[in-house]
Parts: sequence; C-alpha cells; structure tokens
Amino acid sequence: MLTYLRKRIISSALPLVVVVVGVFALARMTGNPASLYLPLNATQQMRDDFTARNGLDQPLLVQMADYFGGVLRLDFGQSLRTGQDAAAMALRAFPATLQLAATTMVLAVVLAVIVGCWAALKPNGVADRISSFISMAAASIPDFWLAIVGIWIFAITLGWVPTSGVSGASAWVLPIATLLLRPFGVLVQIVRGSMVSALSEPYIKLARSRGAGELRVVTHHALRNAAAPALTVAGDLTVGLVNGAVVVETIFGWPGIGKLMIDSILQRDFAVLQAAVLLTAVAIFALNILIDMGYALLDARVRPVTVKA
Amino acid sequence: MTSSSKLPFQATALRWPALAAVAVFGLSACSVANSDSAGGGAADTVRVVLGQEPPTLEACESNLTSTGVVVRSNVTEPLIERNPQSGELEPKLATEWKATSNTEWTLKLREGVNFQDGTPFNAEAAAFTIDRAVNSKLGCNVEGYVFGDADLDVKAVDATTLTVTTPEPDPILPLRLSFLEVVPTSTSTTEKVREPIGTGPYKIDSWDAGQKISLSSWDGYWGDKPAYAKAEYQWRSESSVRAAMITSGEADVAMGLSPDDNIGDLGVDYPNNETVALRMDANEAPLNDIRIRQAVNFAIDKEGIVNSLYQGKHQVAAQLVPEGIVGHNSGLKGWPFDLEKAKSLVAEAKADGVDTAKQISLVVRSAQFPKITELAQVLQEQLSQAGLNVKLKMLETSQHLTYQVRPFAEDEGAVALMTQHGNQAGDAAFTVDQYMLSTGAQSYFGTPEFDAMIRKADAASGDARQKAFEEIFAYQNDKVVQFAHISHQTGILGKAKSVSYTPNSSSGDELRISEMTPAS
Repeated sequence: MLTYLRKRIISSALPLVVVVVGVFALARMTGNPASLYLPLNATQQMRDDFTARNGLDQPLLVQMADYFGGVLRLDFGQSLRTGQDAAAMALRAFPATLQLAATTMVLAVVLAVIVGCWAALKPNGVADRISSFISMAAASIPDFWLAIVGIWIFAITLGWVPTSGVSGASAWVLPIATLLLRPFGVLVQIVRGSMVSALSEPYIKLARSRGAGELRVVTHHALRNAAAPALTVAGDLTVGLVNGAVVVETIFGWPGIGKLMIDSILQRDFAVLQAAVLLTAVAIFALNILIDMGYALLDARVRPVTVKA
Repeated sequence: MTSSSKLPFQATALRWPALAAVAVFGLSACSVANSDSAGGGAADTVRVVLGQEPPTLEACESNLTSTGVVVRSNVTEPLIERNPQSGELEPKLATEWKATSNTEWTLKLREGVNFQDGTPFNAEAAAFTIDRAVNSKLGCNVEGYVFGDADLDVKAVDATTLTVTTPEPDPILPLRLSFLEVVPTSTSTTEKVREPIGTGPYKIDSWDAGQKISLSSWDGYWGDKPAYAKAEYQWRSESSVRAAMITSGEADVAMGLSPDDNIGDLGVDYPNNETVALRMDANEAPLNDIRIRQAVNFAIDKEGIVNSLYQGKHQVAAQLVPEGIVGHNSGLKGWPFDLEKAKSLVAEAKADGVDTAKQISLVVRSAQFPKITELAQVLQEQLSQAGLNVKLKMLETSQHLTYQVRPFAEDEGAVALMTQHGNQAGDAAFTVDQYMLSTGAQSYFGTPEFDAMIRKADAASGDARQKAFEEIFAYQNDKVVQFAHISHQTGILGKAKSVSYTPNSSSGDELRISEMTPAS
C-alpha cells in the first residue's frame, strides 16, 4: 500500500506543475490589474509606478521564475487587494470550505444510502416512486434559488435559523441544506440503481435461502457490492464542493475558498488566486488518493498487489 | 465458500458514514474553522452589514468606498470635513484655514487632541499625513484620486500651525485636504497599514478576516462621546441577504439595498450622488455625427426608465452631477423623450452619407448597480427603435475598465459606454476634468474651446466658479453631446426600528456611527 501511495503521489506531481504554470499563465493573460487598483483618473506615471512596484513590468519568464522560486519556499507573495500574505489568506479560507464539504457529503451519503436502499427493495413500488421523485427534484433545483427561498422561509418567516453568517451551529443549517440536496438526489439514483442490480444477484438469493434477514441481506451482502459506483460519484461530487461552493459561500457569507477564488479572479489578485488554486489542487489530489484507497478497501480485486521475490 | 461475515468491511458498511457524520458534526458544532462565535445584538452595539469586506482600513485608501465606510470619521478624522447637506467645508482637526498667497494655505489646528495610541495630534502629525499620502511612493489611492502627480510642500510652522504650498494656484485645496485622514507619525511610511490609529471616536478592537470588524468607543476622544459603545461590521454580497438581516433582526443598518429587496418601511432612501449616463465615442461612425448623438438622447425614455425600473425613486438627469454639487446647473432639463425626432435625426444623417447601419457597441458592466441588465436591454431596444444598430456587451469590471479609462480599447468601432459616476467631493471639477477634457481619463473627446472653458472654471472660485461650471454643463448638452444622461440615483439604506439615523449623500462612503443613536 505504501508503494502504491508513493507512486500516486509522484504521479500527481506533474499535474500539479501543470496547474501551477497554467494558472500563472492564464492569470497574466487577463491583463495588467493597475486599472482595478488605481483611481480612474490615475496618471500614466501612477500606472507605471504600480506596475513596477508589483513586479508586473518584468518579462513573463522572469515573473514565472520568481513565482516558482516562491512556491518552492512556500512563499506565494502578497495580495494586491489586501496586502496580506496570499498563502495565509488561502489557508484561512480553505478549512471553512472543507468543513462545509465534509459535513454536506457525509450527510448526503448517509441519507442517500438509506433512501436508495429503501427504494431498491421494491423496484417500481411506492417507496421507489416517491424516492425517485424526491431525488430527481433534489438534483434539479438550482442552489441559488433554494438558498434565497430557504432564507425567506426559515430565517425571515419562521425565524428558526439565522439568514447567513457562521455564528453558532444553527448558522450551518441553511448552507448545508442548500448544498446537500443536489448530491443527495444524484446519490439516491446511483445507490438505488446499484442496489437493484445487486439484489438480483444469485448470492443474494443464496443468502436469503440460508435464512438471512432482510436488513442483513441489504447491509451485509448487497450494499458492499453496490457501493463502488456510489463511491465514484460521491468522490466527484466532493471534489466539486472542495473546489468551493461559490453560490452558497456568496449568499450565506461563508468565508470559504470558492468565494476567495472568484473574488481573486475578478480583482486580478494573482498571488491569492495562485495560492488558492494550488491549495485546492493539492487537496483534490489527496482526495482522489483517498477515494482510490476506498475502492481498494471495498473491493479486493482493485487492491495493489505486492509481489515478493 | 466462505461466509461474507468474515470480511472486515461488511459490518461497517453503514457504520463508517455514521461515525464520520458524528465526527463531522462534533467538529462542526464548535464553529467554522476561521471564525469565532459572534454574539447577538447587545443594546450598546450597532451592527452594520456591508456589501463587501474592506480590502484594508489604511487611512490613505479611505477614498475607496469599502474602506472609507468603516474608517472615515469613525477611526480616523480629516483636518477639514465637507458637510454633506450644505456642501460647506467645516472644521475638524483644523479649526480655521485661509489662503496666505496664490499657492499657499495656512491652517490652524485643534489643540487637546490625542491619537488612540496616546500621542498628541499636532502640526507635525498633520504634515506627516499629507507627506505620506501625497508625496511618498506608497501609491495611496487618495493621491491619484484627489491630488494627481503634483507634490505638496508641507511645513509645520509650530505645534498648531501648518502651511501647505501647491505648485499651481489651487482654490479648492481645502476640499482636497478633506479627503486625507490624519494618522500619527509612528505610521509606517514604507508600507500600507491595514489597521490604522486615528483620532476618531472609535478604535479598532478586532478584525476577524472574512468575518467581522469590531470597533469600540475610545474614552480619550476629544469630542462628544458617541451613543453606541460598540460597532460591528459584517458583509454579505447579496443585497437581498443584507435586507433579510435587517428584517430578521440580525443587523441594525444595511448598506446598498435594491428596490427589489422589498424591505418596506425599514428602507430609507437617500441621494447617493451617483449619476448614470451613456458616454458616446465621437471618433467612430455613426457616433461621430452630432445628430446621431442627439438622436440617442431623444430616443431614451428616461421618465419611463425611472418609473418602471426604479419605482420613481431616481431622478431624470440632465448633467453628470446632481443638485448639491458646486457647478450643478439647475436650469438644465433632461432631453425629452421624442422617438420621432430621434428617427428623423438618424434619417437626416443617413441622407448626408453617415453609415447609420454601422454597429454601436453598448458596453455595460455586469452588476454595477441594481437592475443594470434590464436598463441595458431597455436602452438597446429604444436605440434600435430610433433606427440604430446596437449590440449589447455585458462585461465584468476589469474588461469594462478597458473601455472606461484611457488608454481605451482599440478597433472596437463605435462605443456607447454606460457609466455610473459618483461625485463625492462636492465640486464639479472632480467630474469635468475626468469626463469632459479632451485628454480626460474618462473622456472620448472634447474641443479646444471646451478645454479652455474647463481650465478657466478649474481656476475660478466662489460664484464665478459656480457659473463657469454651469456653463460647461450647458455647453456639453448643446455643442458637444458626449453624454446621454439617464438618471441621478437614490440609495436605499436598511435600518432597524431600534436605531435612529438619517442617511445623507455621504453615507455610502462615510457612515458615521457617532451620528447613530438608539431610537427612543
């Protein structure tokens, strides 16, 4: 397993370099940010001073070499907008996104497994039709609309939760509920499909013929074999959330990495953008490795084999 | 065949997610990673929700709306301040000022004032502030906004006397100085400071980046003690959420609301000195013909736009500055909506060989102000009805700036750019120099005669200054027609019933907490 991990980490290095170079180049292609940071009536001298002060007058290759040198020292430079350390800004925002993503996905998986299994027990039965309707609706509702409606109903009309912010446990309810619905809806469909297929396998009939209870058949026999597709989709959905739940972060004032990245793009805050993208890329590579390990745990056929001489 | 129960994962198929859920909830129940737990609204605290987090509270950047709204007159104070209602300059840290020569102004400073770090305010600190903001290499925003490239010669004559000398005669130097927030001599001159020390009624307690800024009243303040002991600032991008925070009692004051936020009687209208207009590029056909630019003015139904899109809260504009700004011409009326006249002007130009079918790009910045997309679509339709070929370009801020500010984007054909101009300085020079001079940063064109008029107005003072700028606005509409003015905007501030506060035209840039009191 350690060998496998080492290989995965090494193989991830090249894509990371591509990400670093790509973000650097694409950001610079959007032009000089001087106009965004100077008064509209700034003179040419002021624009030139700004450009020189921030090293943007250097040839692109020199800027890139500086940037790479900094990355190796974990120095991503300073934010043009706030003057703060770019890496510190990214590291401060990322845990908030991670918490939101982790809580959302754990809840989505638990609920989807329960509802998906329930639906799969009797395909086309009442439970299946109800869960299909709910899951399709959940996967289709736009999150910005849901967020605004949620605020109106639960914060303003009923007063049960705050409209936004991060103060206290109740502030988590609306952002998570908003984020939860889409992954929940998608995962219910996946789990249901996999479970219908798994429950029709001969080994299930054998288990039932041996007198295994329905709960045991579902949880011990069918679910494990049906879990791989759900894990794949859950992994993709988690990656999407780790990238930043921009709409939810924006509406609910959640201080996460998605909002930070969008603001950095709009403000041409190159240093923060580069730090945030690289941090997110590293997290996504780590997540993918975890997902691969999850496959290995679920299915012996995909475990790495160590051949001893 | 082995029993499946021997496999280590089977029994945990559902336990893993369950355990993870417990763990995550355990983690989550504490708080968000980079936050603390904000308390509810205490009676001695006023809670303000802004549209964005200030990028910095640096005093020499306080002309930026997002910075100034927190720092100006709360944490720091200027030497001179402009009364937003009367437009008059009033004493603050300077008690009097006068021109002692063509180029020199002398200011007498207030005694008995201390900075929040305990050091005394004096002429040395005032001189340091001006030097740091205007003459240094810090690249302060206020330098470009108010002073340009010109350096000032500043001298502390004695502890309470300061002289400021300008390279050229500057009749509005005191107004320019009202943009400088005074800081102590201990402030860094090599880098900007995120949390300044000032002489204001509030000092900065904490700034939880991404979350909240807390101020508390400062016992050593030289003036009256403010009614609220504390102020808390949060920020939400969505105006509907800011409005909801007022409705739900989570905030006391909300900035920048939209008519669509339906906040009812918790919304207070105030003039925000912002004007919306189309700026037309007369260097390109068909806008190079004045008849086409006049047709654009006749084709826009300004009354209809104000009434239907903005519920009648805005005012039809006839010039780039609203009432209350020195130089505003109250005799000017907006161009009447006359589609037939617009069509005939276009036809006349076409008959004279103007290529009226040539495309005009209507360049608009997304989300610049409420309902801008709808406004842009209305304008496109109305100009099309007049017989013009208009293509709508919605751009984000950075792209929009390439059309808005010199050097302008090239090879773009005829451009009509939607601009929102706010004159927060109170003098038309801050508008005209940028928007109407041939070489103005935001001007497509001008004429030598018009430039001469502007230069003359810039150097005038008193009634002559007022009259000179009035003539400039009239001349623009008669002879130049670079602009099709649409409306003077009205801001909406959300205010809980528990707070007593009357917003004014400066509130969006300088929200004075000391002017707020608990409602009786």
